Amino acid sequence: MHMATTLTINGETKSFDAPPEMPLLWVLRDILGMTGTKFGCGIAQCGACTVHVDGKAVRSCVLPVSAVANRTVTTIEHVGSTPAGAKVQKAWLEAEVIQCGYCQSGQIMAAAALLAATPNPDDSDIDAAMAGNICRCGTYVRIREAIKHAANGQS
Amino acid sequence: MSGKMRILGSLIVIAIVAVALGVFIIRGPGPLDFAGGSKVALADYRAGKPTGVPAKLEKASLVERGEYLAKAADCMVCHTRPGEKDYSGGLAFKLPFGTLYSTNITPDKDTGIGNYSDQDFLNAVQHGKRRDGARLYPAMPYTSYTFMTDEDVLAVKAYLFSQPAVRAKAPENTLSFPFNQRWAMIVWSAVFNPDTRFAPDTSKSPEWNRGAYLAEALAHCGECHTPRNLGFALDNRKKFAGAITAGWRAFNISSDKATGLGNWSDQDLISYLSLGHAPGHGSASGPMGEAVDHSFSQFAPEDITSIVAYLRSVPPQPSPDLPATTAPVAPASHGDGVTADARGKKVFASACASCHGWSGESPVSPMATLTGTWAVNDPAATNVAQIVISGTKRHTPDGALSMPAFGNAYTDDEIAAVANYVTARFGAKGSKLTAKDVAELREQTAE
Repeated sequence: MHMATTLTINGETKSFDAPPEMPLLWVLRDILGMTGTKFGCGIAQCGACTVHVDGKAVRSCVLPVSAVANRTVTTIEHVGSTPAGAKVQKAWLEAEVIQCGYCQSGQIMAAAALLAATPNPDDSDIDAAMAGNICRCGTYVRIREAIKHAANGQS
Repeated sequence: MSGKMRILGSLIVIAIVAVALGVFIIRGPGPLDFAGGSKVALADYRAGKPTGVPAKLEKASLVERGEYLAKAADCMVCHTRPGEKDYSGGLAFKLPFGTLYSTNITPDKDTGIGNYSDQDFLNAVQHGKRRDGARLYPAMPYTSYTFMTDEDVLAVKAYLFSQPAVRAKAPENTLSFPFNQRWAMIVWSAVFNPDTRFAPDTSKSPEWNRGAYLAEALAHCGECHTPRNLGFALDNRKKFAGAITAGWRAFNISSDKATGLGNWSDQDLISYLSLGHAPGHGSASGPMGEAVDHSFSQFAPEDITSIVAYLRSVPPQPSPDLPATTAPVAPASHGDGVTADARGKKVFASACASCHGWSGESPVSPMATLTGTWAVNDPAATNVAQIVISGTKRHTPDGALSMPAFGNAYTDDEIAAVANYVTARFGAKGSKLTAKDVAELREQTAE
C-alpha cells in the first residue's frame, strides 16, 4: 500500500508516495534521486548508508520511512552546511582521505555526527562512533587523522 | 475372607491410594483453578458468550470463523517451517531428548489430515490422539486445546480444510529411549490432560471468562509462560511465572508487581499484544514476536481487552532471579557507564550502536530501545543472546522494522561478550555468558 508521505530532508519539505515499510535509503535514492547516500550491505552493518536523523547518525537501509515522519533528515548532499559537516569535509579533502570513495559519504556523516556531539574526541570516542563504518580500501588511518584535524580546526 | 486375602486386599487399596495421591500431587492444580469460583457448564452460562468468535464475525461463514479461531490458537507458527507452505509442518522442536517435527495439517490425504473425520480431528485436538490411534506428544498443546468447544475445534477444521493441500511429509522424530515410546503418552495423557471443555466461572465477569477461554483454550499462553513439572507438564502452582521454551525465556506474566505484569498499564498490555511493543517495556521478538504477528495482532480489540482482564487476575508469582526494578537509561557517551567487557564493547560499537545507541534509547525507533526491557535486565541474558543469533523482523501497521541475525557473523565467544556487555550497560546486573552457553542456546532454537 502506498501512502503519501512528507519528510523534511536537508531543510526542504519533500512529498512522495511510498509504502510505509520502504527503507529511507530507497526513498532517498530511487524516489528522490539523491544518490550521494550509498547502498552497501542492506543490514546496517557497513555504514555506507549513514544519514542524520535529528542530528544522530543512523543507517538508512534498515530504517522504514514511516519511522522518520516528523523528524529532520540530513544527507551527504547537505551536511556541508552544518558547522561540523563543513569542518569534516574540509579536513577530508586536505588529508586526501578518500580512495575508491564508496563508503565515504557514510564515513563523513558518522564523523560529522561525532564532532557535533563530541567536539574534541579522543581515540576511544572515534572508535566508538566510527566502528560501524567499514572501508575496504583501508582509509581508517587517514579518517582518524582527518577527524582530529577537523576537531582541532587545524585543517 | 482369609487373613492372606485381607492383607492382599489392603495392600491393593494402599497401592491405589498411593498412586492416586502421587497423581494428585504431581498433577497439581488445573490452569483455571486459581480463580476458585463456582463453575457452570457452558450451556448453562447466560451472562455472556465466552467461546466462539467476536461479535463482528458472529454471522460469518464457518470457514471465516474457523480462520479467526485458528489464528487465535496460533496453529500456523508451529505447523509451518519458515520458507515452506502454510500449515505443511516440518518445524523442528529441539528437546533435551531428541527432535520432534510438527506435522502437515493441510488437507492432503496422504501426508496431511485430508482423511480426518470430525471425530478424528476432535480426538487429535482435545485428546491428543492421532487418526491411527497413536498418541501425540504434548509439544502439541492439546492439554490447552482440550478446553475448546467442539464447535470451535470443528470451525478450525473447516478452515484448515479450505486451505490448499500440500504434499509434504515431516521428517521422522529422533527421540531417544524411553521418549520414543509413543504408547507411554497414554499414561502421560491420563495424568496430565484435564480432558474437559471450558466451564465458565460465575463469580467472574463475562469479560474475564472470555479472556480465560482465549488465553487458556486458544492462545495457550501457559505452554510457554508456565514452568513445567517433573512430568514435563505445566506446573500451575507457578502459573505464568515464566519459563525457558525453545531456547527463549518467556517472561513472568503473572500479576507480580516487580517481575510480572503488575506494573504494566492496561494500555501497555494492549499495545504489546496487538502491536508487539509497549513503550518502556520493549518489543516482542522470537516466539512471542511470531505469536503477535500471526495471532494476537489479528484479535478483535475486545478480545485483547478480555485477555488483559484475565491476565490481571492471575496471582502474583515472583521471579527471584530478576531485579526488582529495571535499570534506567545508560549514559549517552560510550566512555561513561560500564566498560567492563572490552571485547563486548568492540562488537557493540561496530554492530549494535548505530541502531540501539549508547544510552539504550534508540535513535532509530522506540521499538529498538533497550532501556526497560526484561531481556537486558535478565542476568541470564538468554533473550539478548537469542536475538543476536537469530535477529527479528517485526511487522507493525506503519511498517516493518528488523534486526539482522548475527548468528553466522559472530562466534559464540563474541556473542557471549556482547550479551555480557549489553546486560551490564543497559540492565540491572551484567550476565556471565560463556561461549558454551551460547552454543547451547543455538541448539535449543526451533527451526
